[in-house]
Amino acid sequence: MVLRLRLSRVSTPGGAKRHHPRYNIVLAQARTARDSKPLEVLGTYNPVPELPVGAEPGDRKVKDIKVDVSRCKYWLGVGAQPSDTVWRLLSMIGLLEPKYLPTGPQTENVLKAVRFPTHEPRAATPAQSRNDGPVTKAIKDNTRAKADIGAGTTSPMNPNEA
Amino acid sequence: MPPRISTSRLTQPQTCECFRSRSRKSPSTPAPSTRQFHATARHGTRLRRNMWEWFQGPGRVFREPLPGSTNYLSAYDKQGNLLRARRNQQEDPEDQDELDQDEDAIVQRELDQGLDDVERENRAIDRATKRSAREEIEERGGIPPERQGDMRPYPLNQSFKSQPVLSEDLREQLYVQVVHYRHDVSSVAATFGVDIRRVAAVVRLKTIEKQWEEEGKQLAKPYAKAVLNMLPTTPFKPETSKPITPHEPINDLPVHPRTRQQIFYPTSESRQFTREDAAKVFDSKLLPADQRIPLPMLVDLERWKLQGLGREERQKKQREMDDAARTAIETAARKKAAWEASALRTVPGRRWDFKFEDISAEKVGKDGRGRQAVGYRYGMPHEDRKRGMVKIPTSVE
Repeated sequence: MVLRLRLSRVSTPGGAKRHHPRYNIVLAQARTARDSKPLEVLGTYNPVPELPVGAEPGDRKVKDIKVDVSRCKYWLGVGAQPSDTVWRLLSMIGLLEPKYLPTGPQTENVLKAVRFPTHEPRAATPAQSRNDGPVTKAIKDNTRAKADIGAGTTSPMNPNEA
Repeated sequence: MPPRISTSRLTQPQTCECFRSRSRKSPSTPAPSTRQFHATARHGTRLRRNMWEWFQGPGRVFREPLPGSTNYLSAYDKQGNLLRARRNQQEDPEDQDELDQDEDAIVQRELDQGLDDVERENRAIDRATKRSAREEIEERGGIPPERQGDMRPYPLNQSFKSQPVLSEDLREQLYVQVVHYRHDVSSVAATFGVDIRRVAAVVRLKTIEKQWEEEGKQLAKPYAKAVLNMLPTTPFKPETSKPITPHEPINDLPVHPRTRQQIFYPTSESRQFTREDAAKVFDSKLLPADQRIPLPMLVDLERWKLQGLGREERQKKQREMDDAARTAIETAARKKAAWEASALRTVPGRRWDFKFEDISAEKVGKDGRGRQAVGYRYGMPHEDRKRGMVKIPTSVE
């Protein structure tokens, strides 16, 4: 069964309310009920634009989204399917490519979405590479070579062969 | 029965026409006669005569207020003489002569008299204070400063004493210290002897004042000036040897409502029962008195003085503490900025912004009920009322 990243409408805080939607961003089995207990709660989404606390006059309203970025990334990596809304939200912080793009020159700007620096691939520090043993070094070189060439089409006999 | 008041005695106009549309000059009402209350009127009663005598006699001093001083009734006697000016005249004329003399000559004379060092030092300090007091009197135009007894605006209410307010110079200086020199409010309060809350209020009001001046709004300056002329003020004299006059007691411990109850708390004789313990007895969350006091650094200063630390050492310690506090604030600000840079993203939309915050989903813990966790929780009622749930605390303080 497929795992989905989706929203689940919750009644808390203060009981169920009309016109007062609050969502959890959850990981759940696709065929379970929307508000049933999920496998994991990954964050929250408040779809009502609100003025932040201590806002100055003239400040813009914000929609508040809290999400565990690394966890989302992991679940997307192992094949979890985001719903359309979650896809839209996650594409804003550059975890996914936007599903629907405007046509024309705007497209490029959209693709340059912001990305959390903490979740960018870490550049290898020189100190680390100096301390690596021969085996680790060989594997790392291989990986780098693979990354340069493209998808891995390596020989099973020679790890250093591209 | 008809009304007993004759209609001629009624001041009410006889017409029902609206007072707006009515003509101003009513022919029925006579023109007002000459004023009864007039300075030249001599035909008054005894009371009125007395009043005029007082106006022209002892009351004359109240027409023009004294410059740089209050002008209350109780500062004068019945003849209208300033009481404290008379006291000043009674001082020893020999003392005055001595103050006029050259300091070196006085020292030489004392040496000739064979006084010891301590005695001479005391006399020198005495002379210095007298000189400064005399200078102050001369500054005020020969009028000595008010005493406590002169501060009573209501002669029949002996216990009402007029309290000094901040002068315009001092308020400006407080603003400059906080806003331009960036000193923290508590150090400014401690330096100038003004309550922290008052310093904060002065800074806020001054900010508004400057803003209004920038906007070109008209301020009620003449009114403020008139009021300040009549009240005792705490001055700020930057050019003198003693520029700062303490305004009020600044380090009073505020009475917390929790400490108002009387508690009989039995404790073992062998136990050291400190202020921290007392605070805990009053309320489990109440801070001890040493931490609730507005300016704890003044207490530290006094404690170091009692320990016998020298002036330089005390200053060094104070500087260290200030530096530590500043570093802590800077570190916290830097940490917050770093967290915002790594965890917060704002994506602008057409009508509103999307604010993303990176959180950790792991905080829910093993049972999925962590209290620090983000996300609304799922149908799990509290089980603490259930039969068989052990409620023994897992840790003891």
